[in-house]
Amino acid sequence: MRGRTILLLCAACLLLTGCQGGQKEEEKTSIRIGISLYRGDDTFINNIRSILEEKAKEYEREKGIKVTLDIQDAKGSQNTQNNQVERFISLGCDVLCVNPVDRMDASVIIDRAMTAGVPVVFFNRQPVEEDMNRWDQLYYIGVDAKETAVLQGQMVVDLYRRQPEAVDINGDGVVSYVLLEGESSHQDSLIRTEWSIQTLKNGGVPIEKITGGIANWERSQASALMEQWLAAYGDDIELVVSNNDDMALGAIDALERAGVTGVNVVGIDGTTPGLEALENGKMLGTVSANKENYAGAILELAAGCALGQKPPQEYPLTDGTYYWTPQEILIYKDIKENQ
Amino acid sequence: MIGKRGKIVLLLYILFLVVLFLMCSTDLIIREPEKEVYQIAVIIEDVRDDNYGNFKKGMDQAAVELNADVRFITLYEKLDGDQQMELILREQQDGADALVVVPADEEQVVGTLAQKQVTVPVILLGSGFTGEGVTGTIVTDYKGMGEAAALRILESVPSGAVVWLFSEPGRQSVMSRLFLEGAGAALDEGKIRYETVVRDGEQGFAEFLSVPERLPEGGVVILAESQETLTETAGILEDSPALRDKVLGLYGRGSSLPILNYLDKGVITGVCVADEFSVGYFSVLMAARASERFDGQKTLTTSSYYIEKKDLRDPAYEKMLYPIE
Repeated sequence: MRGRTILLLCAACLLLTGCQGGQKEEEKTSIRIGISLYRGDDTFINNIRSILEEKAKEYEREKGIKVTLDIQDAKGSQNTQNNQVERFISLGCDVLCVNPVDRMDASVIIDRAMTAGVPVVFFNRQPVEEDMNRWDQLYYIGVDAKETAVLQGQMVVDLYRRQPEAVDINGDGVVSYVLLEGESSHQDSLIRTEWSIQTLKNGGVPIEKITGGIANWERSQASALMEQWLAAYGDDIELVVSNNDDMALGAIDALERAGVTGVNVVGIDGTTPGLEALENGKMLGTVSANKENYAGAILELAAGCALGQKPPQEYPLTDGTYYWTPQEILIYKDIKENQ
Repeated sequence: MIGKRGKIVLLLYILFLVVLFLMCSTDLIIREPEKEVYQIAVIIEDVRDDNYGNFKKGMDQAAVELNADVRFITLYEKLDGDQQMELILREQQDGADALVVVPADEEQVVGTLAQKQVTVPVILLGSGFTGEGVTGTIVTDYKGMGEAAALRILESVPSGAVVWLFSEPGRQSVMSRLFLEGAGAALDEGKIRYETVVRDGEQGFAEFLSVPERLPEGGVVILAESQETLTETAGILEDSPALRDKVLGLYGRGSSLPILNYLDKGVITGVCVADEFSVGYFSVLMAARASERFDGQKTLTTSSYYIEKKDLRDPAYEKMLYPIE
């Protein structure tokens, strides 16, 4: 009697639980990716976004899987970004790609994603390691900031070794430079500054810093700073070392307004306007991440996560979490030679 | 010591609790009130959304207010009507409650809708397409924009000047076609000479403008048919101050950020703009209402304006051109 009752009870439980999860999981034919950008007006991020959209279309055509990208601009507000992430999750996004506003404050995004079981691919602004270690469904795609900085410094070192007078313009034996830095809270900003200058020193360029300032990656802020420096130091400035292309272009704007020529300006990112400046000979050089590879890695990894697949082999992950995009030096001379 | 009857009661009680728990967890007793989410797909005629910045802001605003899930979809090839029809059918199949379409080929879209292959409401943007299966339209007077730009050219240029109509090769979008029609009619009436210059070669208009002999003696004014053409031409003039001095004016249509920046810098003389934020907002609103079978207004006409640099700081235009989300 007891055995029969227990059996009956178990059967009832199975029947009821069966109502809940009876649907067999079907193979996905569409994926939805929620993308939140820290600032949509950042030129580099905008470049990545455009390529990402193209890659999504390619993926759709090649694999026959519908890819819906929900792209939102957080406009520099972590709070807005958190709300966007919440909305992405409520809209049923399969995976999130987040370019964090505040890399130190990614925990809210991670909490929400973990609760909903939605993987997150962070990019461009690296969350702290402690956060990244919280879940095995968190990934980061970016560039190795130290490598970037070393390459930036190296292009000046190479030019100095070939043609010292092209860098030491006034021939006083010292290359006087000004430095334009990105946000103080961005990991790349600190590393780029440190290693770029270190590489110049290690390469034997006799440098002397005139001044420097934080222009928060922005062209207009950099332009305003450079204008002040030109008024204060005038012809003493021989080299402008910038943490990114937008700020380098801001410096070029100020140089053009002041009618100053011959100052070498180096940037980082290889943005479309940056490359145009390079082609026109306004900028000496830049370090460019392979943006096709960068955006491709974001899309392939996100799509793989959404489909429950293993990370793509063509983008090998370091420690199962990080992918570092390859970079290259682009200098004015090379562009001219290629043409 | 519990008796046999007591054991049965206890067992029944436990069974009752288990059943109650399972019923609650499967929503059989407690049902969460379902908030309806409108599934709306917006399918444009272009491969990129560069010219839809303000439109998307309006669209996003409406999506949040109406609890709509709006998917913004671009084509693989610009103005590919076949692909747009595939996407329309795909989105319908994937559960869209309503569609907002900027037709790549208006005749094809209207024809397909008339065949009743699309059963969800469709809102068309652009000119005033009507027909069976078209639930609503949001009309922008592109022809009027062309006329307005041409009239301003007639007012400001000396007689003897030539107007170059910079145009894209291949089939034009309906917006460009109407814009050029309007401009052409006004220029004909004003008896000013104009020539259509079609973008050609790798360097595009830069190549055409690089030949000084091409520049007419009486001066030249450029009227660009599309936002891309206008942005490209403005970029060429900005990079070449010498050329800029020889061109009496650059006109066109559109309110993308690069165009407004060129207008602010004085590279572009004047542009015709529409309230694209409102178009985005109302397209989603009309789609959401149509999906509820709300039989409201079916055609909405948006105003267009001709603006110059001095108008950019006018509060009314500023609010329209730089909307805050």
